[in-house]
Amino acid sequence: MSTTTPAPVEQPTEPGPRRTSEPPRRAAMSRRRRKSSDDQAARGGPLWALFAWVLTLLFFAPVAWMVLTSLHKEADAATNPPSLLAPLTTGNYGLLFDRGVRPFLINSATASILSTILVLALAIPAAYALAIKPVEKWTDVLFFFLSTKFLPAIAALLPIYLIVKDLGMLDNVYTLVILYTSMNLPIAVWLMHSFLAEVPREILEAAEVDGAGLLRVLWQVIRPIAMPGIAATALICFIFSWNEFMFAVNLTATRASTSPVFLVGFISSQGLFLAKLCAAATLVSLPVLIAGFAAQDKLVRGLSLGAIK
Amino acid sequence: MAAQATSAAAPETDAAGLGKARATAFVTPALLLVGAFLVFPALWTLYLGITDYRLTGIAAADPQIVGLQNYTDALTDPQFRNALALTLLFVLGSAIVGQTVLGFSIAWSMRAVPKTVKTVVESLVLLAWILPSSIVAFLWIAYLNRDNGTLNSVLGTSGFDWLLGHPMLSIIVFNTWRGTAFSMLLFSAALNAVPPSQLETARLAGADTFAQFRDVVFPHIRGHVLTNTLLISLWTFNDFSPYLLTAGGPNHASETLPVYIYNSALYSGELGYGSAISLIMLLINLLIAVFYLRLLKDRRS
Repeated sequence: MSTTTPAPVEQPTEPGPRRTSEPPRRAAMSRRRRKSSDDQAARGGPLWALFAWVLTLLFFAPVAWMVLTSLHKEADAATNPPSLLAPLTTGNYGLLFDRGVRPFLINSATASILSTILVLALAIPAAYALAIKPVEKWTDVLFFFLSTKFLPAIAALLPIYLIVKDLGMLDNVYTLVILYTSMNLPIAVWLMHSFLAEVPREILEAAEVDGAGLLRVLWQVIRPIAMPGIAATALICFIFSWNEFMFAVNLTATRASTSPVFLVGFISSQGLFLAKLCAAATLVSLPVLIAGFAAQDKLVRGLSLGAIK
Repeated sequence: MAAQATSAAAPETDAAGLGKARATAFVTPALLLVGAFLVFPALWTLYLGITDYRLTGIAAADPQIVGLQNYTDALTDPQFRNALALTLLFVLGSAIVGQTVLGFSIAWSMRAVPKTVKTVVESLVLLAWILPSSIVAFLWIAYLNRDNGTLNSVLGTSGFDWLLGHPMLSIIVFNTWRGTAFSMLLFSAALNAVPPSQLETARLAGADTFAQFRDVVFPHIRGHVLTNTLLISLWTFNDFSPYLLTAGGPNHASETLPVYIYNSALYSGELGYGSAISLIMLLINLLIAVFYLRLLKDRRS
């Protein structure tokens, strides 16, 4: 996604004839992006700009509407077209807490945070060993992890439901912790492996020659290099766990339900009291929105890396 | 990729002095957990699929082996064939056409705009991907609402219920909106790798946009197109979230396979039958996965 060079200053686009008369530039690799974006902009600037606006509207409008409506009184939210300038209030959020949204948020936080920590604790050593490859044929182990990504969750749901029921672990938040951990582990191992495979081996060899022990290598050499990868992996796992709906709705009832389940229940019980529903939806999406925007670049890198490699 | 190649060439270099024993100890816990909670349930599906297991009643307490009964039932059941056909339509419409085309168009056009615009657009598209599907479903339910939904206001078709009138179209558009970010990011990365000098040459030679795309861009991003298509097809194939919009209705008109499994196994209680269909889904997944992994290995070596 990212080039190593800083973004060049945008040149004013020149409309009109193609620059065929210009002598071909001896563009260095580092100027590649600028050159291509200039050429593109010269050809169809306004059209692409329009497309960008349409996209912005298409993707942002629903979310903006949700946040804005959540801050309106129910009467203002019901008008059509929506009254954008109606007075703002946080009353809907207060109401949500009166309706007992808190335990759902706590369950979601418990399941997401604990499972993310567990995933990292298990995935980092595994990915490290797989990236260093002291054992032959470990590519197969790696592909085993990857292949489990192809198990449809719905197919695992029925046996898991029966097992959990027999163990008396239904409606227990730790069931979700364990399930989310195993669900995210393959992705995490794969991602971390992609990041760790980029650690230069010379550094590791040098550290060993210097007599650094395993813990010191991990802490002083690997950790600084792997930190962005760990952050990206943690974010992706957190978002997946927070958003998970299918296991949560089928394996929990009252005590261990998570916030997406709360939201869906709230929708069916509240009909279309839009302001209240929007407040609930905003509240439930807030953690992933914060997580996503706090580290968008890492997220993008993690996703591209995980898919391409 | 470079590091990959190096380590593949010398598989037994133990650069960090990790040692086999410790390396095995590092990998085993993760393997065990994945085995216990992903692979073992999948294997149990195999067993459940040949029983008449039900959620309640006598067959719940003492399930009998019924052999391939569930499978023959499924294959002759019009409801199952309906679900399979709808799932293929769903994958074709929302993943292969919707997400790929929209994702590529965004990635392609964002090369032409200033970097800030690109960042903003990418973040907003990503926003749709980050949000929980339950919330995206709620936004679409409100947007498509028959009485005061935005779409009906814009089109002047107040009173029309889109989720009842066009359920498949609704879930296809819903899934396209929600999932486009992944294709966009992937193609964005891929297009960065297309040498602009080759595009320039093609343009100087008088190639039109389509010819440039076909002869210059496509050969460079073919691998990415393949990866992307396979991954999003799989995700869409297994996606349960259409349930949140239509619950498979009206009258099974949008009942994709995951929703069908849910409805027959957990709603109607036919666990054995549901498991048999799960296994059929699993096999379809495996076919795609084997195909994908083979391609991936080929590309690496």
